Amino acid sequence: MASKTNRAVMEPEVEKNGTPSNELHLNLYKMLVKCRMCDEKARILFRQGKYKGNFYSGVGQEATSVGTAFSLKKDDWIAPSHRDWTSNVIKGVPLKFCFAQLFAKTTSPDRGRSSPAHMGYPELHVITPASSIAGQLNVGTGVALGIKKLRRNDVVVSYFGDGATSFGGFHEALNFAGVHKLPIIYVCQNNLWAESVPLRLQSALTNLSDRAKAYGFPGISLDGNNVLEVYDAAQKAIGRARGGQGPTMLECKTYRWYGHSEIDPAKYRVKEEVEAWKKKDPVAAFEKQLMEKKLLNDAKKKQIADEITQEINEAVEFAEQSPYPDASELADHIWAQ
Amino acid sequence: MLEAINEALSQEMERDDRVFILGEDIGLSGGVFKVTDGLLDKFGEERVLDTPLAEGIIIAAAIGSSMMGLRPVPEIQFADFITPAVEQIVQQASKLRYRSAGGYSCPITIRVCCGAGGGSGLYHSQENATWFVHEPGLKVVMPSTAYDAKGMLLAAIRDPDPVIFFEHKSLYRQAKSEVPEGDYTVPIGPAAVRREGRDLTILTYGFMTQKSLDAAEQMAQKGVESEVVEIRTLAPIDKSTILNSVRKTNKALIVHEDKKTMGYGAELAAILSEEAFDDLDGPIMRVTGPDVPAIPFSPNLDKAWQVNTEKIVAGIEKLAAY
Repeated sequence: MASKTNRAVMEPEVEKNGTPSNELHLNLYKMLVKCRMCDEKARILFRQGKYKGNFYSGVGQEATSVGTAFSLKKDDWIAPSHRDWTSNVIKGVPLKFCFAQLFAKTTSPDRGRSSPAHMGYPELHVITPASSIAGQLNVGTGVALGIKKLRRNDVVVSYFGDGATSFGGFHEALNFAGVHKLPIIYVCQNNLWAESVPLRLQSALTNLSDRAKAYGFPGISLDGNNVLEVYDAAQKAIGRARGGQGPTMLECKTYRWYGHSEIDPAKYRVKEEVEAWKKKDPVAAFEKQLMEKKLLNDAKKKQIADEITQEINEAVEFAEQSPYPDASELADHIWAQ
Repeated sequence: MLEAINEALSQEMERDDRVFILGEDIGLSGGVFKVTDGLLDKFGEERVLDTPLAEGIIIAAAIGSSMMGLRPVPEIQFADFITPAVEQIVQQASKLRYRSAGGYSCPITIRVCCGAGGGSGLYHSQENATWFVHEPGLKVVMPSTAYDAKGMLLAAIRDPDPVIFFEHKSLYRQAKSEVPEGDYTVPIGPAAVRREGRDLTILTYGFMTQKSLDAAEQMAQKGVESEVVEIRTLAPIDKSTILNSVRKTNKALIVHEDKKTMGYGAELAAILSEEAFDDLDGPIMRVTGPDVPAIPFSPNLDKAWQVNTEKIVAGIEKLAAY
């Protein structure tokens, strides 16, 4: 099985010695910026009243999802939570469908059924999530069982917050995955706040990754704002999963800049805490690194941003112009037709 | 019926290698009631999976692996213990197709042992199929004969949607009928007219089917001819068979083991009121389990709880008098 284990480090964007190449660095940066810009655009559109419902911004946490999902293959799976709308972007879903999801139009992958941030994309194996906490983590574990049974080489990356680790279903899923050595990576985006509940009231642990020990697989706590650290740990975890060695839990310590959702002013957090974390901005930090290495300059940076802006604008226009589903489809897709 | 279910599982696992079973005590012990006896030896651990005692992940594992194209048949050992899995059944399985507009589907068959029998007390006796009838996206079935049990289980496993297959524990050994050795299905959906009659219609399901037939025979000796309709599929409901029968007899008596308030009978009564009001010559009546939390353990209390033939006979007499 050794060759399978090593597959992850033989990807074209990674050099033979396992060190990420310059090209990979630049691509990771582009994806970080893309996620940041899409997410900020989604917030603006919500506040402009362009779509209803709510939006759960992941700004500040981008390195956790970019670092873990970036190198996934088409057939690999993502089990997102409500804050991982941009995981669709990382998996390669065209932006126009992502924005159509916000607008609940017929051109969204679920024809306007799920609320804005609950986006999946079957073609690229992004599971359409339910709102239930840790729900996607359980279903993702089932997908991993299916992968193992079918002797496929795919993996599942499942996202959840610190709050989900308190839920009973978290225990059931991780325990089961440990027993069967399933090909799944549990990515805990520990942003210190579960809605308004601080971590100190969520768990007595300092490192939530300690929980993995109870399930018989490795748990690693990471600086979730350092994209290379996350990427490196994810590569090892994905390699383990593909190699039949079972799950890994990655606790990415990070912070959400804004409220739980767009209607939450997050007054329960002190300004100093928010400001301190904003100084640890994962996008700016990586940008600085690339500038210092001369992989990036102001002109290149502007070019990247301009390209993404154009793509977003086209996507928003597509979404705005798409029709809403007709009332006659209300009862479609309850059972097989 | 027990052998029929075992045979259906075994034959379908032989026919289709995507099918596997999982649940508590189903492998090494062959199941609490021996429904899955011998399957571990025949198919091995990979397809007969003894799981941790955690109903949530039993169902979640089935849901997720069905999304990979497999056909899992999870077992919930007692309906009383389905509650930890309700999150997965109601929020995930029933809504997966809908919330993805058909992008994902969930072809799982959840076998659930349910119902009164043998004085097993509060937590090994519940018949709670109606909980799931309220959730569009699920199919809910409860056969009462060995023939239907095999045919409907095969139909359920081949169905593209999640099916909850309730098995009444009292029928495991009591329900005996000819079961063909070969492959056949009994479609999910249609109700069955088990006895023809002109005076009133008994609408029933599960363990109450045979008791209703017994009561109908007793009353036939007094000149009251009851038609007995067995609703083998609780959801989606076969309205036409039910309405056709009631339009013929003009009276409806609903019989179920489950509790009365907001039980399946309440929905049947509403359907009849909405769609057959002009055909009714008497009140829609119910003979059901009482509104008591669950079946108590002490024999006298257990007996007092249960719907028996005498209670159904009394119901027929009362309705026939109109």
